[in-house]
Amino acid sequence: MRCPDGLRLAAAALACAAMGALAAPDGMRSALEARLRSQLPDVAPRDFALGSAAFDPELRARVEAGADDAKPVIARGAALWKRRFKDGKSLAGCFPNGGRRVAAAYPQYHPRLKLVFTLEMAVNQCLKAHHEALLDYTDAATMGAITAYVRSLAEGSRIAVRVPAAAETHFEQGRRLYFSRLGQRNFACASCHVQGAGKRYADVPLPPAIGQATSWPYIRGGEAVTLQAQVRRCLERMGAAPFAAGSEELNDLEYFLTYLSNGLPVKANAWRPK
Amino acid sequence: MRVAALAALLLLAAAAARAQSPSGLEIFTSPAKGYCIACHQVPEGAGPATRSDLGPRLEGKRMRELGKARLRALLADPMAANPDTVMPPFGRHRILSPAEIDRVVDYLDALP
Repeated sequence: MRCPDGLRLAAAALACAAMGALAAPDGMRSALEARLRSQLPDVAPRDFALGSAAFDPELRARVEAGADDAKPVIARGAALWKRRFKDGKSLAGCFPNGGRRVAAAYPQYHPRLKLVFTLEMAVNQCLKAHHEALLDYTDAATMGAITAYVRSLAEGSRIAVRVPAAAETHFEQGRRLYFSRLGQRNFACASCHVQGAGKRYADVPLPPAIGQATSWPYIRGGEAVTLQAQVRRCLERMGAAPFAAGSEELNDLEYFLTYLSNGLPVKANAWRPK
Repeated sequence: MRVAALAALLLLAAAAARAQSPSGLEIFTSPAKGYCIACHQVPEGAGPATRSDLGPRLEGKRMRELGKARLRALLADPMAANPDTVMPPFGRHRILSPAEIDRVVDYLDALP
């Protein structure tokens, strides 16, 4: 395994040292969890799933009070999920148990395509198989609402993303992206979510890397914001040109990030302030 | 004659004001500029009150101990002094111009 040149974050060094010769995902996750636990002794690791709200009781109360904001989005997603295609089938028919609990196992490695397959890709694959128009990954009103609904069907399920040996290069690419400084501001994702986890940026506590993938999409201004939409927003703030939604880079990053949250419960559609 | 002189003075004053705009405080607080306030707190009355703590709280006494030259170098490229820092390289990455960095340095130097 080769760690990126110029990567100086202490977290990355720790992670790289822990990974060895592709003992990768497990060792990497354990090392990161140990680091975050020692950095944040007052937060129980299960509360990492609460994100910023784990560090701010007032924000936590606002998140709980705003829970109803998700209802119209989820209802919109449910209607799209159950809508009959021209051939009489529906998105619900493409997934086991109508989609119940499936979201907790995405993204997945697709061995035939040799790439990371996200929940949104699975939705579009279903549409394609039934000769329906594909959805835009960035469209909050359709794809966002569908992910809001299907992830609500996995509410409370433990995230269980597998990284088979054949997928480790994708996991590694996601890890490298997470720890690499990018853009005019020279931040890495890890600058804020590992090195600065729990501290406040622009007055808001920074959620730790472990737990970040539990609560997407979140609801902001009545719209579903997917994990990749949030990453793209962060990249813009970092002064970097964001990768396209659904790109291999963002899929690998989502794969890495979701694996880090393995064992934590899905908490979809949490309210977030604007 | 008097009117012309007055007009020239006004023009000069306007030009000087433009040269000093945005101010050090504006650069410090603007998301489109330095946005230093996103990470650092400043003493009461010197800027907006926040709870941000990704970077250390900035106190005038410490700023003046560091001195303007050191502050200027830190703002231009903080990684030169600390490779692990998360602070952006405002000069090296041309987030701020040298004149804007000078204004932030003056602002920091004048903190209570």
